Amino acid sequence: MRAAALLLAALMGPAQAAWEWSAPMNVNSVQGEKIFPHLESANRQGVAVSDDTVGVVWEDNRAGTPQCYLATKPAMAEKFQPEIRLSQSECYEPVVMALGAGRFVAAWEEAGRVHAQIVPGGAAIKLTEAESAQVTLAMGAGKLYAAWAEQAGRFHRIVVAALTATGGTLSVGQVQPVEAAAPVDEQGWPALAVAGDGSVTVAWEDRRNRHTVPMVSHSLDGRSFAAPARLTDRKSGSADGLGAGTGAMRPTLTAWGKQGVAAAWLDKRDFLSGYDVYAALDEGTRRFGRNLKVQDSFGDNMVQWHAKAVGNAGGRLLAVWDDARDGTPDVWLADWKGEAFGDNETIPAASGTGAQSDPVAALDERGRLHLVWLERGEQVGTRIRYVRGASR
Amino acid sequence: MPESIRMQIMWLKENRMNLIKSLMVASCLWATTALADPPPNYPFVNYDAGLKAARASGKPIFLYFGRYGCAWCDHTNKKTFSDASLKTLYSDNYELVYVDAESGRRLTLPSGERITEAELGVRLQAFATPLFVYLTPQGEKILQIPGFKTVQDFRDFDRYVRGGHYKQKTLLEFLGGKS
Repeated sequence: MRAAALLLAALMGPAQAAWEWSAPMNVNSVQGEKIFPHLESANRQGVAVSDDTVGVVWEDNRAGTPQCYLATKPAMAEKFQPEIRLSQSECYEPVVMALGAGRFVAAWEEAGRVHAQIVPGGAAIKLTEAESAQVTLAMGAGKLYAAWAEQAGRFHRIVVAALTATGGTLSVGQVQPVEAAAPVDEQGWPALAVAGDGSVTVAWEDRRNRHTVPMVSHSLDGRSFAAPARLTDRKSGSADGLGAGTGAMRPTLTAWGKQGVAAAWLDKRDFLSGYDVYAALDEGTRRFGRNLKVQDSFGDNMVQWHAKAVGNAGGRLLAVWDDARDGTPDVWLADWKGEAFGDNETIPAASGTGAQSDPVAALDERGRLHLVWLERGEQVGTRIRYVRGASR
Repeated sequence: MPESIRMQIMWLKENRMNLIKSLMVASCLWATTALADPPPNYPFVNYDAGLKAARASGKPIFLYFGRYGCAWCDHTNKKTFSDASLKTLYSDNYELVYVDAESGRRLTLPSGERITEAELGVRLQAFATPLFVYLTPQGEKILQIPGFKTVQDFRDFDRYVRGGHYKQKTLLEFLGGKS
């Protein structure tokens, strides 16, 4: 049965390859057996394209402690420029957003507070004086927002703030909790999207139901948010008096089309096969539709990790993630086909022997996909790899 | 004011700081347990604390990889970890570590790499919770067991691990022999 499936997949392979890929290249200039780069962040926002400049952020411990870095390159260049360090002390989970004209905003957690900075040329600012983590950024309709998890009593809660970039100076507006009430359990890992109409969508992990549920809220102005709704269509509740519900985690959002927003997350509703990638679409109504399984049947019995929704204003939408259905971790991609996600594709440079995982990706205005991932090697250490894809 | 009430007020005033401290401790304990689902009354600690304790004590590590709200974790806690003798066996002979499968809390692997608790699930290729992992005092993996297990199962795993049988036999070979 497996042989037949593999044969079928091999036969279908050339017909499915919808992308033409550039030569892969390294992003991080320093690697080593004891250097551990990470691309983890809220909304997996580790790559952005600012007109014709690609920016990639990550954290690694080359300096002896975790620090955050940014590397850039012209979109068509064959190598990245040497990275710059963003942080001064322990730094985690950096994100990057394009400002245009080759400029970026990067944000990260440093020494227990979230920071942001315009690069190149800006100075880092603290977004809040409160203990905070898991910052993310989104931009659209000319507006820039940040969201993060901020300590509020015993738990973290999700807050959103508008950021203003004036020249090289970044300023933060009023920090607005998505919910006025104090959190009753942990909230974290926010994802943000600004739709074409300027409305703000925020999704996050929420434990108020005694298990992890991705929740979502919308705001027309970035200040007043609607009551949270579940992103998942699974109800909470115990099974035979046990537990509180299946798990789902790490929601990601992307603006998509003229007014749409798409979400993808890891979902354990089929609890015997680990997390699956699920998605939901809001086509502009500010209400997400039914949940859609993203991976195809070849990945059904395999645990998926590090899912990320990627869209653009032109209406292109896809999801990337990693799983080990072919024996070792590979990066996978599925395009939205209008009714469902299409067959899963590997990216040649991000598949095969060894471990290729933790993808982050962005679509530029021309519809080109900029994909970044980790390639783990026993001897040489972990490389951050980049490839650019164009639709055939 | 009746004497009994005045005595109670005096006692409360005198013991106010102790009460506040007790409430704070209780609150911290509740906050800890509210974030995850380890079995109650076991001395589970986080990964870094457990690894540090194991290096000092030389005891192996028993790592419970659970998920907040997980039904099978709840079942295992109620049916298996409620056994008093099992609690003694594991509390006395292991450094007990609880990891929350969906948490962003950070831990440091023996290699020096810092990852989140959720990312540990990726490294373990965890399909389901609960997942039980036995580690050497240096944090090297000995055995990984997914799903609900009985008291007897955990006694068998203990003999396999602490008896050093894992160095010569697979678990299946060991259990077939039941030495």
